Amino acid sequence: MKRNTVVLFAVLFILAIFAWAGWANWEYRKQAAERLAAANASKAELIPDASGGMPQYVSPLTGKPAPAFALEDLSGKKVTLASYKGKALLINFWATWCAPCKIETPWLVELRDQYAPQGFEILGISTEGDDLKPDDKAGWAKDKAAIQKSVEQMHMPYPVLINGDSLADTYGGLDAMPTSFFVDRNGKIVAAQLGLTSKEDIEANIHKALGE
Amino acid sequence: MKRKLKLRMRLAACFALSVATLSANAQSDPFGRSFSKPIGAAAPPAVQYIFPEQINVPAGKPTPVALHFRISSGLHINSNTPRDEYLIPTTFSIPDGAGVELKDAAYPPGSDFTLPIDPKTKLSVYTGEFTIQVHIVATPGNHLVEGKLHFQACDRNQCMPPKTIPVAIDVIAK
Repeated sequence: MKRNTVVLFAVLFILAIFAWAGWANWEYRKQAAERLAAANASKAELIPDASGGMPQYVSPLTGKPAPAFALEDLSGKKVTLASYKGKALLINFWATWCAPCKIETPWLVELRDQYAPQGFEILGISTEGDDLKPDDKAGWAKDKAAIQKSVEQMHMPYPVLINGDSLADTYGGLDAMPTSFFVDRNGKIVAAQLGLTSKEDIEANIHKALGE
Repeated sequence: MKRKLKLRMRLAACFALSVATLSANAQSDPFGRSFSKPIGAAAPPAVQYIFPEQINVPAGKPTPVALHFRISSGLHINSNTPRDEYLIPTTFSIPDGAGVELKDAAYPPGSDFTLPIDPKTKLSVYTGEFTIQVHIVATPGNHLVEGKLHFQACDRNQCMPPKTIPVAIDVIAK
């Protein structure tokens, strides 16, 4: 009888240990899920196109005011998003190492020239993804030289800003280039594009930004 | 009677262990979604190091080692000799002070790749699996070397930022 009692207590003890482990596991997963949900709150997703075409980029920023920023251009001058209030904007995140960006840029140059008279402008934001520290003067100088060379080679007539990586958190992660946001005259994001699409798609979104 | 009691005790123990095991290994989150990977697990990297994990080499002598890598399906990375200066080449390095020196690295030639929208431009890339042939020289002893593979990956429409992944090799030099 005494032995049975010992065995019973041992079983109950083991049961209690495992029940506690299960509860701790559940609690850990609950917290991890909450952290993940918070981290993904500003991330975008690709929705397959019903017609079988390219997936449509759905950004949670669409319909919301474009997040404010102040970045330097290649001459070191601070440029703010607020200074473009009243204009329809295409905020184009690109990188010097991005081959699809090199294909897209000539389209952007043509479209900018075409729609500038209607109050349209492009802000090219170089997003090199090289995790440079603020005091890495040599690194920034090398980046700037490469960006400047690309700007000249591709005859980009619009403002080009640097350090787009600093906007990754506010602009949905910026996990791939090119990424574009189309902003209307009231500063609201009306469309977004991830990756290379087509000149026609870009133009259609410019019309949305112009309110046409 | 005693035998019945023993049987009951054993059954109770089995039940307790089953319940406890189930609760400890539950594979669904508090919102009822089931998953096979831990929540928060990152997506697999564009490139993974496959092998070798451990090598035996003669100490102080240049020794050839073939490093094998795998690129995720649908992605490509620039070869070591991309055709445009602005593209980031794939490179392998070993940090100084690891007890193992990288004497040289021979990279495979890239394959031609064109983006569907720009068939005129040919890129030099790696896809699928590729191997880098290196020569290393190790000082006597066991060295847990963390080499680095630097690359930049794209698919047909978009590019990811440049990345460096660790290449962990246990080098035993005698």
